[in-house]
Amino acid sequence: MPLNQDVLWYKDAIIYQVHVRTFYDSNGDGIGDFQGLEQKLGYLQELGINAIWLMPFFPSPLRDDGYDIADYNAVHSSYGTLEDFRKLLDSAHDRGIRVIIEMVLNHTSDQHPWFQESRSSQDNPRRDWYVWSDTDSRYKGTRIIFLDTEKSNWAWDPISKSYYWHRFFSHQPDLNYDNPAVREQMWKVMSFWLEMGVDAFRLDAVPYLVEREGTNCENLPETHAILKDLRRRLDEQFPGRMLLAEANQWPADLRTYFGDGDEFHMAFHFPLMPRMFMGLKLEDRKPITEILQQTPEIPPTCQWSLFLRNHDELTLEMVTDIERDYMYDSYAEDKTMRLNLGIRRRLAPLLDNDRRRIELMNGLLMSLPGTPIIYYGDEIGMGDNINLGDRNGVRTPMQWNGGWNGGFSTAEPDQLYAPLIQNPVYGYPAVNVLSQVGSGHSLLHWMQSIIAVRRSTAVFGRGSIEFLHPANHRILAYVRRLGNESVLVVNNLSGAAQAVELDLRRYKGNIPIEMSGKNIFPRVGDLPYLLTLGPYQFFWFRLRRI
Amino acid sequence: MEIKLAEDTFLTDDFLRQLINVGEVDILVGLPTHNNAKTVGSIVKTIQSGILRWFPRERAVIINADGGSRDGTPELVTSISIDDVRRGSNPYALRTLHSISTKYASSPESPAALRTILAAAELLQAKACVVMSPESSSIEGEWISKLLRPIRDDGFDLVTPTYRRHRFEGLLITNLLYPMTRALYGLRLREPYAQEFGFSGRLGGEFLSQNVWDDGTAGSGIELRFTLAAITARHRICQSFLGQKDHIERRGSDLVPALRETVGPLFSALEPDFPVWSAVTGSQPLPTIGPDHEVLLDLVRVNRKRLREMFTTGVAELATVFQSILSPATLAELQRIAGSGESDFEYSTELWVKTVYEFAASYHQSVISRDHIIQALAPLFRGRVLAFLMEHRNGSAEDVENGIESLCLEFERLKPYLLQMWKSRE
Repeated sequence: MPLNQDVLWYKDAIIYQVHVRTFYDSNGDGIGDFQGLEQKLGYLQELGINAIWLMPFFPSPLRDDGYDIADYNAVHSSYGTLEDFRKLLDSAHDRGIRVIIEMVLNHTSDQHPWFQESRSSQDNPRRDWYVWSDTDSRYKGTRIIFLDTEKSNWAWDPISKSYYWHRFFSHQPDLNYDNPAVREQMWKVMSFWLEMGVDAFRLDAVPYLVEREGTNCENLPETHAILKDLRRRLDEQFPGRMLLAEANQWPADLRTYFGDGDEFHMAFHFPLMPRMFMGLKLEDRKPITEILQQTPEIPPTCQWSLFLRNHDELTLEMVTDIERDYMYDSYAEDKTMRLNLGIRRRLAPLLDNDRRRIELMNGLLMSLPGTPIIYYGDEIGMGDNINLGDRNGVRTPMQWNGGWNGGFSTAEPDQLYAPLIQNPVYGYPAVNVLSQVGSGHSLLHWMQSIIAVRRSTAVFGRGSIEFLHPANHRILAYVRRLGNESVLVVNNLSGAAQAVELDLRRYKGNIPIEMSGKNIFPRVGDLPYLLTLGPYQFFWFRLRRI
Repeated sequence: MEIKLAEDTFLTDDFLRQLINVGEVDILVGLPTHNNAKTVGSIVKTIQSGILRWFPRERAVIINADGGSRDGTPELVTSISIDDVRRGSNPYALRTLHSISTKYASSPESPAALRTILAAAELLQAKACVVMSPESSSIEGEWISKLLRPIRDDGFDLVTPTYRRHRFEGLLITNLLYPMTRALYGLRLREPYAQEFGFSGRLGGEFLSQNVWDDGTAGSGIELRFTLAAITARHRICQSFLGQKDHIERRGSDLVPALRETVGPLFSALEPDFPVWSAVTGSQPLPTIGPDHEVLLDLVRVNRKRLREMFTTGVAELATVFQSILSPATLAELQRIAGSGESDFEYSTELWVKTVYEFAASYHQSVISRDHIIQALAPLFRGRVLAFLMEHRNGSAEDVENGIESLCLEFERLKPYLLQMWKSRE
C-alpha cells in the first residue's frame, strides 16, 4: 500500500503511539525491539492506523524513559541497530504507515558527551552549549514542572562548580538555544533522520527552549523564532514532512505555535483531554464545549492532535484548581495514582473498564476536530500497574496472547524490562490481542470498525465544526462539514438514556444515515429533530440531501 | 367498563420538555414567585453563588413556579442559567446550571407553586430540595447550604429555619402557630410556616401524592400542611439557624389574609391529624444547627390605642358570632377585659389559649362558615398582641423568650381542654 502523497497527510492520519521497548521482543532478551515492532506492523495495519509515533529510542541512561538522550544519531542497543530501524521504516512505508519519531530539543541527558564536555571546564568550546550560572537565583519567575521530584530549575554541578538550568529532571540539562552552534547542531540531527526517511517529528517540550529574565521562560518570541527557522529548513529540504509540537499550554498560547502556518503543522490539544474526562464524569458537555469555544482558529494547513491517554500522566496543568480537585477525586481517589499535576492511569481503568464509556470516549476522539492518537494497548483495553514508579505503570508490555509473558517475549519473566499486568481484570490472560481477534464483539474489533468509519470520509480530519447546543446539556452534538459533506455527531455523556431535540432546520430535507449500520433515519423537517440515546451512546449520521 | 388511561395534568408540555433537558439532579431549589422583579434578581444570583460555593459538583437546578407575573420575574430567574450557549456565563462553574420557569394557571395564593416544585423534584429524582422565598432581602448564599446539608449529609427529611428576629416580629408565629403546633404535635419547631425550608425528595414525593391538592382545604399556607405532614409521618426533622431575615412587605399588614394563610391550614389539619396529635403529651426539642432563636431588641412604635379599639369593637360587633364559637365563660371574660381600662388591660395566656382552642374546636364542628371563624379571630388576636406588647415593652430578649415559653407551656397544659372541647362538639 503506497503512502498517501498528499502533503496534508497528517490531517487524515490516525496515529498509534508506541514505545519500541514495550511492543514486541523478537530476540528474547525481555525488551521490545525494532524487529519485533516490524513483525507486528500487520496488526497495526489491520487496526487501521496509518501512522506510528515512536517514543525515544536513542542511546540513553533511561532515567526518563529515553527522554534523556545521550546520542542523537544512533539507536539504543537494546532495541536493535540503526539498520533495524531503517528496515522498520521501509516496512512501515510499504504498508502505508508513516513514522513519527521523538526529538527532544530542549535538553539532553547529563551523560551526553556535549554536557560532559561543557561541564569539564569553563573554557571548553561546548561550555556555552548549556545554560550555566554562578547563582541559582536567575529566572525566578519560572515554574517547576516536576513538582514531586525537583525543588528548583537550577542544579549544582560539583565538577564545574556552577549551576546549570533544567526545566525537567536535574539529570536533563537544558541546551542553550541562544548559542547558534546549538541551533545548527540540532538541525543537523533532524536532517540525519529526515534523510533516512522519517516522516515527522514530535518535538518534545518546545515552549522552554529559550530563557529570559523577567519572564516565565515559556513561549518566548525567541523560542518561536527558532522553531520557525527549523520549519523553514524542513519545508525547503524535506517537503511533505511534519512537525508536531508538544506544548502543554492554554489554547491561546498554543495558537502561536502554528504561526501563520509557518511553525508547527500540528500541536497537541492538551486542555481538551482532561475536559473530555471531566465532561464524561459530570455528564455535562460544558467543559468540552467551553474549551473548544476558547480554542482559536488555526491556519488551514495546521491541525490539532487529540488523544485520550499517552505515556505520561493525565496532565491536569491546564485546568482550574476546582477542576483539578474534581478530577483527582473522580479518577484518582487513591493518591498513589497521582503524579506531579496529573493521574498516571490508562484509559480502561480510568473508565472503570466500562465498555460503553470507552467506546464513547474513542468516538469523541475520532469525531472532534483533529488527528486522533491511540496509545498502544488502549485498543484492547489494557490496564495499568500503579505499583510501578513514576509513569512506568502505563508502559508495561503489550499483551498479545494469554500464554508465556503474554506473547510479548520468550525471556524469563524476571528478565522483562517491566512486569506484565497480571491482575484478574486487566491481566494478559484476560485482555490480549489474540482473544480479541477471535471475538467479533471485542473492543479491538470495535476499534477497527470505528477507525474504518472515520477513515471513510475526510470530514473528520479536515472539516469544520458547528455545535448545536441542545437544551439537554448531557448531549454533546455537533455537525462536521467539509464541502458538500455534512456529518451530524450526537453523543450522550450520561449513564442514563436521554431524549434530545436538535435544531436541525438548517439541514431541512436531509436524510440522516447512521454511519456504522448504514441505516436511514427520518428526514429532517421543520420541527426539532427528536432523538433518544441509550447510556453513553453516540451516533454519527451522514446527512444526505437526496 | 371503560378504563381511564389519560388524566389531566397540571404540568405544561413546555415545562416537561424543560425538565427532560435538565435530567436527574442532586439538588433542587424551588422559587415560587409572583411579580417579584424588585427582589428576585438579587435573590437568584445569591442562590446561584450559594450553589457554586457549597455544591459545585452536584447536579443542581433552580425551578421557578410563577403565578403569572407581569413584571419580568421569570425572565430574571432564567437569565442566571449557566450553560455553554451564553459565552462566559460562568467559566468557573464545573457544570451546567439550569434555571427554568413555568407559569401555573391558578391564582398566586393557590398551592400550585409548591405542587409544581414537588412535581419537578420527583420527576428529576432530586435528593435534596430547598424552597426559597422571593422576598427575603437578607438572603445569603449560605442559607442554601444550611438548609440542604442536613438532608444530603445527615439524612433529615425536613429542615426548617430559625431566624434572628426583631422582638415583636412574627407575633402570629410566636403567639399562636409555634405554641399550638408544639403543644399539639409535640415538637418544638419554631417556624412551622416557613418561607424557606429544605426537604428530602422522599418527603416531597410523599406529600405530592397526598390528597391535599384538590380537596378544597389546601389554599395558601400549603407550606404549613407540608410541615405537619412531615411531623405526622414521623420524618426526621431538624432546624437550621439562618440568621437575620428581612423581607419586603407584600400586602401591607392585613391580618385576615395572614390568618387564612396560617391558622386556616392549621385548623384544617387537625381533623385528619387527630389520631396523631390527640395521643401526644408534652413536647420534645428538635435537633437544631445553631441557636433555635435570636431576638433583636429594638424600639417599636405601637399604636396601642388603635389595637385596643379594634379589639373592643370586634368583641362588641361580633358578639353573636362569638356566641357560636366560644364558651360562655370565655366570651364573658373577653367582654370583661374589653370593658376594662387601658392601664388594666390584660389578655392572659390562659384566656388566649382557651380562645384559640375553642376556635379550633368550632372550626372542626363548622358551627358557622369556617372562613367566618377565621375572620372572627382577628380582633381577638389583636387583643392578645396588645397584651403581649404591653407585657414586654420594656423587657429584655430573655424576657420575651420567657414569655413565649410560658405561652407554649400553657398551650401544652390546656391541651386536655382542647380534647374535651373537640369531643364534646363531635
